[in-house]
Amino acid sequence: MDEFLLLTVSVITSGLLVGTIFSVVAAGLSLIHGTILLPQAANGQVFLGAGLLFWLFGTTFEWPLWVAVPLTFLAVAAFAFATERLVLRHFYPLKDRNISYLIITLGLAQILSGVYTGTFGKMTDTFQIVPPVTGFLVLEPFPISNARAIAFALAALVLVGLIVFLRMHRIGRALRAVFQNRDVARLRGINTPRIYRFAFLLGTMVTTAGGILYALAYALDLSVGWTMSLITFAIMIVGGPGSIVGALCVGLVFGFTQAIVSVIADPTIATFAYLLAMLAMLFVRPSGLFAR
Amino acid sequence: MNRALAIAFVILAPLVVLFTAGDNQFLVFIVGITLIHMLLASGLNLLYGYTGLIPLTYAGIAGISAYATANLSMFGGLSFWLALPLGSLLAAAVGVLLSLPAIRLRGFYFALSGLVIQSAMSIAFVYFPRYTNGDTGIASIPRPTLFGAALPSPWIECLLGVFVIAVVGVVWLIMRSRFGASLIAIREDEDLARALGVSVTLNRTVSFAIASFIAGIGGGLYAYYVGFVSPRAFDVLVSLNIWLMAAMGGRATLVGPLLGALILAPLPFFLQQYTWLKDVIYGLAIILVTMYLPSGIYGYLLKRRARS
Repeated sequence: MDEFLLLTVSVITSGLLVGTIFSVVAAGLSLIHGTILLPQAANGQVFLGAGLLFWLFGTTFEWPLWVAVPLTFLAVAAFAFATERLVLRHFYPLKDRNISYLIITLGLAQILSGVYTGTFGKMTDTFQIVPPVTGFLVLEPFPISNARAIAFALAALVLVGLIVFLRMHRIGRALRAVFQNRDVARLRGINTPRIYRFAFLLGTMVTTAGGILYALAYALDLSVGWTMSLITFAIMIVGGPGSIVGALCVGLVFGFTQAIVSVIADPTIATFAYLLAMLAMLFVRPSGLFAR
Repeated sequence: MNRALAIAFVILAPLVVLFTAGDNQFLVFIVGITLIHMLLASGLNLLYGYTGLIPLTYAGIAGISAYATANLSMFGGLSFWLALPLGSLLAAAVGVLLSLPAIRLRGFYFALSGLVIQSAMSIAFVYFPRYTNGDTGIASIPRPTLFGAALPSPWIECLLGVFVIAVVGVVWLIMRSRFGASLIAIREDEDLARALGVSVTLNRTVSFAIASFIAGIGGGLYAYYVGFVSPRAFDVLVSLNIWLMAAMGGRATLVGPLLGALILAPLPFFLQQYTWLKDVIYGLAIILVTMYLPSGIYGYLLKRRARS
């Protein structure tokens, strides 16, 4: 009986943690796709890159947290900015740009995965950070590692912050106006290319946060990038592109599925289930569950 | 006439290397792999170039045939000449199934569904180890035999060359036929084609079946030629890179995919211990082709000649 209870609690906690991190990364993807019509297939590689850089700065170079975290964000932001300037910007005027973007970002994903194999892949197989906080939080009688509890709290904070920003802030509201109707938004004086650039940077930063938080909670390996791309694409399609609430709800469902399946079978089977859910959704309702 | 010369040149180039390479097994192997990729890219061109679909499931379809032929010949005891068409037929059947999403989904959504199905197939290759031996893959598949003896090295590459010529011939015949014209009409404007009485679904399904059959031949030849199949050989990046060969050479031309494969397929072999650079170079090529060379190298040359 006690064992069963312990198992249930561990499923709930890991489901919550995995689910919120899924939601954060999917929110980044969904923000980008909803605004720019850019299905960022390299988003999982960006996520992985953020985690790897954080590992490199924090664990290999042993830099303190207040250096390692901002530097990771800066490095990924520089990359996102360069990508937008050099490549993505040129496709904004095209109406059916999403197909070109899918191919381009798949190319980008291939470049990044090659770079990771050639650099990080030569160092080690799994990337485990030295947790900045140790010890356990004891929710009588269940212990939860402090690092994971903090990762969960921060991930939830990122999501809440993002939702509040999109509802309250001027730029956030402009972003939502573009989601809803880009032509009318432009007529109303919103500078769409600038919003696009901002959305790409913001979405990438949200994904970066997801990568750092994942690295805080779990060990990374180089295959996580592709898996995360697939899972977050599935979350975005099922939840509806551009919907942060959709990403949050579906992300939690997927997180719990992952946690439950991991107890009884191989977690890859969960991935299989996500792919099927996404395929079914593509056929039935390509705009997703939470689309307006 | 010019076109025929270009095709002959591109196909003969690897064969010349073959016969001047002498005992250099490494170069001979590169020639074989390049020829297989020429065949695969030509088949994909039927879908991408002429029908206007981006089939990201292509490598998975080839993989199904590769595993099927490997199983049929190693455990079913069939000869190469029987296992290859059976595997390709299976691939064609799967291809018809995978063309169903195209009835409902357009453009981006079709490509995305392909990405999803391809990923599911990659997982399936690992998780049905009874037929695929999981991550380890199937090794030591015997070489094809002709008149009771295993084909020795320069001749098996010639056999691959014959297959490439046959496939290019089939694509050429299709393009000259009414069916080919229908495909191009669908690519250009689906609604208009439908209004003119072209059955969009039927034509597209048939083109999927033929292209998948070609993918199946390519996959089966790969299994026999390399002697080893693993899930990594048929994942989504492979689909993307075969697409790149067709796109970089020149979509909707007969020469294009051959040229693209000739340029790109040998590349990884020359990178030695820096194989990861392959991904960087291919990825960059994908971005550059999409941005600056949408009609490919051969398409660009044709356009420039038309202008002067």
